[in-house]
Amino acid sequence: MDGTQTMTREFQEIDSIISKHKGHHGELLSILEETQLLNGQKFLSEEALNHVALRTGVPLSRVYNVVTFFSFFNLKPQGKHTVTVCRGTACHTKGSKALLDDLGLMLGCSKALEDGESFFTTPDNQFTISTVACFGQCALAPVVAVDGVIYSNVTTARLQKLLGKISKGRKKS
Amino acid sequence: METKMINIKINGSDYQAPDGIPILDACKRAGIEIPTLCYLEDVSRNSSCGVCVVEVKGARSLVRSCTACVHEGTEIVTNSARIRDARKTNVELILANHPKDCLSCLRNQNCELQTIASDLGVKDDRFVRTKKELPLDTSSSSLIRDPNKCILCGRCIAVCGTVQTVYAIGLSGRGIKTKVSTYMEKGLGNVACTNCGQCALVCPTGAIVERDDTDDVFEELMNPDKVVVVQTAPAIRVGIGEAMGMESGSLVTGKMVAGLRRLGFNKVFDTQFTADLTIMEEGHELLKRISNKGTLPMITSCSPGWIKFAEHFFPNSLSHLSTCKSPQQMFGSVAKTYYAAKMGIDPRKMVVVSIMPCTAKKYEAKRPEMMSAFEHWKDKKGWSQDDAFYDVDYVLTTRELARMFKESGIQFSNLPVEEFDNPIGESTGAAVIFGATGGVMEAALRTVYEVVTGKPLANVNFTAVRGMEGIKEAEVDLNGTTIKVAVAHTLGNARKLFEQIEKKESPYAFIEVMTCPGGCLGGGGQPIPTTWDIRKKRAESIYQEDLNKPLRKSHENPHIAALYKEFLKEPLGHLSHHLLHTTYEKRGLFVWKSNGVEKKKKEMEHAK
Repeated sequence: MDGTQTMTREFQEIDSIISKHKGHHGELLSILEETQLLNGQKFLSEEALNHVALRTGVPLSRVYNVVTFFSFFNLKPQGKHTVTVCRGTACHTKGSKALLDDLGLMLGCSKALEDGESFFTTPDNQFTISTVACFGQCALAPVVAVDGVIYSNVTTARLQKLLGKISKGRKKS
Repeated sequence: METKMINIKINGSDYQAPDGIPILDACKRAGIEIPTLCYLEDVSRNSSCGVCVVEVKGARSLVRSCTACVHEGTEIVTNSARIRDARKTNVELILANHPKDCLSCLRNQNCELQTIASDLGVKDDRFVRTKKELPLDTSSSSLIRDPNKCILCGRCIAVCGTVQTVYAIGLSGRGIKTKVSTYMEKGLGNVACTNCGQCALVCPTGAIVERDDTDDVFEELMNPDKVVVVQTAPAIRVGIGEAMGMESGSLVTGKMVAGLRRLGFNKVFDTQFTADLTIMEEGHELLKRISNKGTLPMITSCSPGWIKFAEHFFPNSLSHLSTCKSPQQMFGSVAKTYYAAKMGIDPRKMVVVSIMPCTAKKYEAKRPEMMSAFEHWKDKKGWSQDDAFYDVDYVLTTRELARMFKESGIQFSNLPVEEFDNPIGESTGAAVIFGATGGVMEAALRTVYEVVTGKPLANVNFTAVRGMEGIKEAEVDLNGTTIKVAVAHTLGNARKLFEQIEKKESPYAFIEVMTCPGGCLGGGGQPIPTTWDIRKKRAESIYQEDLNKPLRKSHENPHIAALYKEFLKEPLGHLSHHLLHTTYEKRGLFVWKSNGVEKKKKEMEHAK
């Protein structure tokens, strides 16, 4: 199946999402939320956003406003696994900066994090690293979430083990 | 409905105000100006700048007066140490991230941020910059955006969205990364932007400005090989005086002509000459459409922001647009054909500069189809594509012309009164009123009526189509047939009429649309500030100039008659078709895609 066909199929799926939410309060958010899950990489492609704007009549600038405001929406493909490092005050005093730096070194993305990018995806599309302002789990600092599971009192060694496990699991499957 | 009046106290004195109006407005009625950077009458009220704070008795903290409203017994303090301190701090925080290159900014000395900082007594630069430097958006041929100068007041977004319904720009990101963006950061030139420039007109700083072409024009003026002629739009004569420090709405036609001569233009002509020509062509086009049962309603095509709006948002209904070029473009093609031939000037050495109240005109002049004079000469003279030239070479806004006058040391108010050059400089009162909303309609009706009935018009003043109402309508009796006409200004109002057309519910035969509030006199290239009071003053001067003219109907212009006799032969004739009429493009919303295609097409043509 070539690119155009994939796109046409995605457009049809977007159309049915739109007709499901049409007329509901805050429909754009629900439409974008479901559209983001259509492709395996949890992101909203430009073509998908164009299509949403065209079909809903919402101005392009407003669609862009919404997808850049909410951190839930991604404009770039996301890795298979997500690692979210908390950068709140408590985690910071417990060394979350060092954790993030080490993570950058482990996965080869120090440069992007230094440049102040809010997230980075490894070239093999396996991991996306992002930061969050606070998980509200300050007593357990430093806190890191891996694929939605929160790990407390994290050290670089634990993180290394954890990532190793995930990578191995991947090789097996 | 009558609003209830309530009693309030401002700074200890008693006042009455309508119930529920914002504190800022209530204070204004009481003669107290409250400083603000984001509030703008009828456009934006989003309490983003924090400069308009006041104390209200009983409130927990300071209150933003642009959004908080008055009620019975509200007690307001507008001037206390606490307020002055808070306002000053808020401005200092804005300044922390604002570049300090005021001296080289186009808005220097005409900047609300600069004025407010000075008024509030900001003396030092206390806070450090926290934002990253962002790239300029130079993708548009009309406007330049510098996000670093932006204070996120939201006025541009409001005027673009709610007034014009274009939504070319919006906020993106969150927190410190918040900025005004085009979709996917594609740039104004690559999204559905109409280039109307209302954003530049309302910007309190220099974050959105016109593309300044004054240096290029100065260079042409210095070139002895070039014949540089200038045309001035109707709205300039009621705007340039204001930009040169005179009172709002000052009518300065003669001084403007004198000033342009002193700048070094070889000939000073008037766009109003081709406004009269537009009426001849457009009037006959309307009559032809009515008698041939062509597409109706026909909509005027003088306003290039409106044209691009239609191409983006109503691409399937473009047949409703009159095929007439705008007066600016008609002038370019007439100057470089008829006038050049008459005077024995090589059109390749002729430079046509327009002074326009408009930023969209910059884009219009560079549309690839606007090379009619070159197409006209090409085969006759055996010229190649390397000789190609535009009909109009440069477009300057009123603000840019003011800059040129100042740079040249011209004391505008001391200039004598001079006359336009001929044969393409004389115009009638019908052409002057092109500058105000309703003017093109009125001018067309004056001519159409007399052409159809063959009788002189008893009263040339069609007052029903004048004034600042958003959509105006009128009925005209043409020899027994009554036609309905409508006039809209702002693209939001134009959208309403176009939606009616697409639903096939439009009762009109003829519609005038002007992109900007108030018509061209409120254009995106006019002096800043442009408020409703100022627009009304400019409109008064426009109608005064109409009264001053000995001739007030386009078809009575003797130079127009000569142009047809010597050159064009007849309205809608063969030459008119090539030189004075144009075509439109279905652009749609995804401009960046077609822009890419267009570019490739051009590259391929070039390679051939």
